[in-house]
Amino acid sequence: MNQTDPLTSEESLPASADSDQGWGALSDLPGNPIMWVLIISELLVFGAFFIAFGVARILDVETFRAGQALLDVRMGGANTLVLVTSGWLAAKAVQMVGLGRGRASRFYLAGAGGLGLVFLVIKGLEYASKAAQGIDIETNTFFTLFYLMTGFHAMHVIMGIIVLAIVGWKNSPENLETGAAFWHMVDLIWLILFPIVYLLQ
Amino acid sequence: MTHGETPSQVSRRLFRAWMLLVCLTMVSLVAVLGFGHSEAGLVAVVVALAASFLKARAVLDHFLDLRQAGSGWRGFFYGSLVFILGVLLVTYVVAGR
Repeated sequence: MNQTDPLTSEESLPASADSDQGWGALSDLPGNPIMWVLIISELLVFGAFFIAFGVARILDVETFRAGQALLDVRMGGANTLVLVTSGWLAAKAVQMVGLGRGRASRFYLAGAGGLGLVFLVIKGLEYASKAAQGIDIETNTFFTLFYLMTGFHAMHVIMGIIVLAIVGWKNSPENLETGAAFWHMVDLIWLILFPIVYLLQ
Repeated sequence: MTHGETPSQVSRRLFRAWMLLVCLTMVSLVAVLGFGHSEAGLVAVVVALAASFLKARAVLDHFLDLRQAGSGWRGFFYGSLVFILGVLLVTYVVAGR
């Protein structure tokens, strides 16, 4: 009996430095390679959405201008400030757990998640305001794309808050880094979505 | 995340990145709300798109630590951002003609 115990053999250690070599070019990126696969995928999907939005705007610019004029730029701007602040708190949470300060890390992470909820409240108020004006996803092409893009992003915010809660509970440095990376991706998408949808009038 | 930095250096770097994000957001809001509907509308749009690129780059470099990755990956991400924002600028100009 000369078998290697599968639980202690070197090949079975997923977090070992050796296992990083199996990710090829992705090994050069900091943190979890799978999270970077997700970040690249999301960037491509949302990128396609943004370009489709720009092309649709060429085809019916008057409808898009009228729709964009009805958007509340201040609410979108406030949500941008909320998300970038939340991203900073998530980065601080990762820094703190790396220093062995788990309690401080959870404090920052709770702040990041709390601001995620503030983002959703502001988004909900914006949607309610549009609904009160009789505007919905079927109003015209602009609002169909507006609700699809911002709604899809808001779903990522909800998922991000859940991810932050999970990594705050099981707060190893690796978990924190991976969970925060998801949150930064959600932030990153909004930083492109906001000017394209709200500001290019 | 530390990359040879002391904890206070990391804290300062993250704080500066956050301040940059806040300032660029304010700059793009002032540009568009103040000048978006004037003859300088195109300038306001360019300012907003440039601010968007710099903000996305700050998140990638400092919050996602992309500055630690090789130049190939940084080029891929920055290039993707420039491509998406550049196409949107072109569609804006074409739609306005």
